[in-house]
Amino acid sequence: MSESTATAARGATRSTGRTAAGPRRSLLRPLLLAVVLLVALALPLYVEEFWLRTGFAVCGAVVGAIGLNLLVGTTGQLSLAHAFFLAVGAVTYVFVSGESGGLGLADLSGLAWPPVVGMIAGVLLAGLAGLLFSPIAARLRGIYLGVASLGLVFIGQHVLNSWTQVTGGFNGRSAPEFSLFGFTFGNTDPDLYVLEVPFREAERLWYLGLVLALGAYLFARNLLRSRPGRALQTLRDSEVAASVMGVNVQRYKARVFLVSSMYAGLAGVMYALSIGSIAPESFGLEVSILYLAMIVLGGLGSVGGAVLGALFVSALPLVFQRYADVVPLVGGSGEGGLAPGEAARFLFGLAIILVILFQPAGLAGLADRFRRRGRDPGGGRPTSASAAATSSSTTAVPSDPPAQGSTS
Amino acid sequence: MSAPAAAADVRSDVPPVLVEGVTVRFGAITALSEVSFTVEPGTIHAIIGPNGAGKSTMFNVLSGVYRAAEGQVRFGEHRLDRMRPYQIAGIGVARSFQNIALSAGQTVAENLMLGRHHLTRAGFVAAGLRLPRATREGRVHGERVAEIAEFLELGDKLHTPVGVLSYGDQKRVEVARALCTEPRLLLLDEPVAGMNAEETDRMAEAVVEIRSALGISVLLVEHDMGMVMSLADRVTVLDFGRRIADGTPAEVQRDPEVIRAYLGSGDEIDPAEAAEAAASGASSSSETPGMPS
Amino acid sequence: MTQFLSLLLNGISLGAIYALIALGFVVIFKASEVVSFTHGSLLLLGAYSIARLSEPLGFYLAVVVGVAITAFAAFLIERLIINRLRGAPVISLAIVTIGVDIILLTELIRRIGSDILNVPHPWGGGSVRIGDVGISENRLIATLVAGVLIALFFLAFKFSNWGVAMRASAEDGETAALMGIRLGRVSVLAWVIAGVLAGVAALFLVGSPTPGVSPTAYSVALRAFPAAILGGLDSTGGALVGGLLIGLAESFAAGYQDQLLFLGRGFGDVVPYIVMIAVLLFRPSGLFGTRELTRV
Repeated sequence: MSESTATAARGATRSTGRTAAGPRRSLLRPLLLAVVLLVALALPLYVEEFWLRTGFAVCGAVVGAIGLNLLVGTTGQLSLAHAFFLAVGAVTYVFVSGESGGLGLADLSGLAWPPVVGMIAGVLLAGLAGLLFSPIAARLRGIYLGVASLGLVFIGQHVLNSWTQVTGGFNGRSAPEFSLFGFTFGNTDPDLYVLEVPFREAERLWYLGLVLALGAYLFARNLLRSRPGRALQTLRDSEVAASVMGVNVQRYKARVFLVSSMYAGLAGVMYALSIGSIAPESFGLEVSILYLAMIVLGGLGSVGGAVLGALFVSALPLVFQRYADVVPLVGGSGEGGLAPGEAARFLFGLAIILVILFQPAGLAGLADRFRRRGRDPGGGRPTSASAAATSSSTTAVPSDPPAQGSTS
Repeated sequence: MSAPAAAADVRSDVPPVLVEGVTVRFGAITALSEVSFTVEPGTIHAIIGPNGAGKSTMFNVLSGVYRAAEGQVRFGEHRLDRMRPYQIAGIGVARSFQNIALSAGQTVAENLMLGRHHLTRAGFVAAGLRLPRATREGRVHGERVAEIAEFLELGDKLHTPVGVLSYGDQKRVEVARALCTEPRLLLLDEPVAGMNAEETDRMAEAVVEIRSALGISVLLVEHDMGMVMSLADRVTVLDFGRRIADGTPAEVQRDPEVIRAYLGSGDEIDPAEAAEAAASGASSSSETPGMPS
Repeated sequence: MTQFLSLLLNGISLGAIYALIALGFVVIFKASEVVSFTHGSLLLLGAYSIARLSEPLGFYLAVVVGVAITAFAAFLIERLIINRLRGAPVISLAIVTIGVDIILLTELIRRIGSDILNVPHPWGGGSVRIGDVGISENRLIATLVAGVLIALFFLAFKFSNWGVAMRASAEDGETAALMGIRLGRVSVLAWVIAGVLAGVAALFLVGSPTPGVSPTAYSVALRAFPAAILGGLDSTGGALVGGLLIGLAESFAAGYQDQLLFLGRGFGDVVPYIVMIAVLLFRPSGLFGTRELTRV
């Protein structure tokens, strides 16, 4: 039997032209991506400034959420420190690219270097902060890390409030306009019209956000489909199995923490650009929790899910705000109804609970299910996310059904 | 007491495993007490014993998951008792888990590719940017993984998530993943536990083929006596953390202490069945090698 | 010297309150493998209930009802959510408690608004002097009550059926279940106990020298998390030690604030986290936590 088996193996590989490394891909997905991209590119021609500004904020959240999802969803290391790394990125940007000078009582210092340098420095320094914390991050069990990382947020808050010279202290400081090789992402300089639509700050930032978010998305997606990604996912399911198969568990935990904090650093810079300033209150524990909400709602472990989650969580309060008088139950502040921010928070809290209880694969899982319903009714392919959320590994006993996650 | 009749071609770079006086304690409990044995290159060596005898603990020591309090484990110039699990994997010691430890949400192919981890280099940057070398590496190793999957009859399930596979298939993925590391020493922790008779036979065949085609050593923990007696060149028997016997299957079966241990625990070896299995095992090991190498 | 003793005493009293919270946190973890991020808002719920009920019910009845409300909230969380997720990975369990926390906290902050609610402790804001050393009456009573509660807890943990069942299930849930221990009941009782402890801690946490019930009580309660972690998440004794350590560290950092001014104002508030990180650097499972034994 054996000789033929080997030949058959080779034959099978050749005939399908496929190897174990490259799973089957449908055409639908790239097509969908192309359509979304096209719409996104044309958007400034049709929608007003509010939506473009929201869009840029969402792009920043997308970057941050993808980074957090690599750590929490893919690797199973719970972190509440994301807001801290966002802060590192944002502060670095405003310090490196901002100018020295007085603001009220505060005496600010800044290096006034080109904004690109500031952005890169923000990413790198956030990474460095992650690296400094990684001796702890790499050795802690996921759940210990969850609480330990809480500490970083509070320490970060303290530093933001006290190190006035750099951070602007309690009142914060403004963020310099972004520019790239002389092209500013502001309202003028140069004046720009496309099809007679003026391309001002909002339009320009929108494209910047799109590029950065797309890059963040592709990097993470490639990562997950390759050697380090597989190691991280196995590490989540069973640290012992991963290490016995040759994965240096501590190093990988440290690495993914580093990568995740660099994503957060970039998201922080983008946040500073989108608001135009930074303040300590923008990097509190709530922010970490909102990011967690994004990846849980989107689908733990799924890059696309992080995008959906970020879209949902960061856009919802803004939409509530804008349509406060139309959305039921939500009123303007002080009118007895729920403030838009509160309404959104209630919704997030509830959504987190419901997702964990009933739909562990999140929005990404829902999308999958719809797509599958179109193709092969009944055929069940659990997403990696569903397995991430419900079963740590298949510790199957003969009589046991397959782990929870796979039956959905 | 020389090496028993092993495979025709023992790989030249497969050293013996020398386990010398290994003791493992958990608090006040001694899980292993001064256990010694040797796995000769290219042999199938079985560790048997009643429940709680310390078989799995021994495996955990060999793969670096547990630290031995005393004693040493040598594999060529390496001291396994001083190495971390991933380092042990790096020198060609692979292991399958008794309780399946696969990633349920990943496909068979992805699980198997993990076995190639220490043979591949792509890091975060190369993988994230899809540098050509990372892509090429993935393709080359993917082909080998497909071969190994085919060998263990998993070829048509490569892109199926492990979580939806049958139990027997999952067990085979476990073994396949260990094989994907191109081991010199393969540790199989109860590879047929919970399998039906037919699946067991197929797995036994596969183990024999692996050994003869690759010329590597196989260390096996197994409850299925028929399988042990038919496959193993040599058997080490543990009871309450001590080694109570060590020898060829025939020698061990006659050993009064072994009989006592098994009768005592109610986990009896049926001599007739074992002997029969031993006879059939001899013939099966002479089959043509089919392991793609 | 006087200042030192005073800070020591205040640190211990604050630590006793932290220990109560941390103990609940640890008990929940041991019984249900849940790291409860709901604990901060649970505590705020207790404080809010007591403050709001004091007027209609009188102080003592308000305390009883307020603690009961907190315990009942914990009960509901366990029954409605945690109980349905038995066997889910710890990380999902932790995240679901964050979801609960968001809802509870949003609602409480909405209700409290920008006010500072007052809890009319009968012992008021006075302080007592022990020798040269002064401590607020509230804190002194807190220390005594916490001492009694903690002692009761450890006795129950050691000798009651629940305690035995709980230790057994924390040791090896599967085996305990086979032995007829009902994990669900162990878990729900743990949550209720943690709720009671949080309610009592709330009562004292919002008394003198703290001005009253405001959303800041939430972040104060959060400092019990590092207490639980640095003691070891699965060690009840560790929670006690961790609570005291955090209380002392915070008290001393606040007391010697002037000497520490270069570290920024309000440094005392972050000291618990710094202590925690320092400990974790050397002992990843906390001071008394058991290193996880891998079962494969």
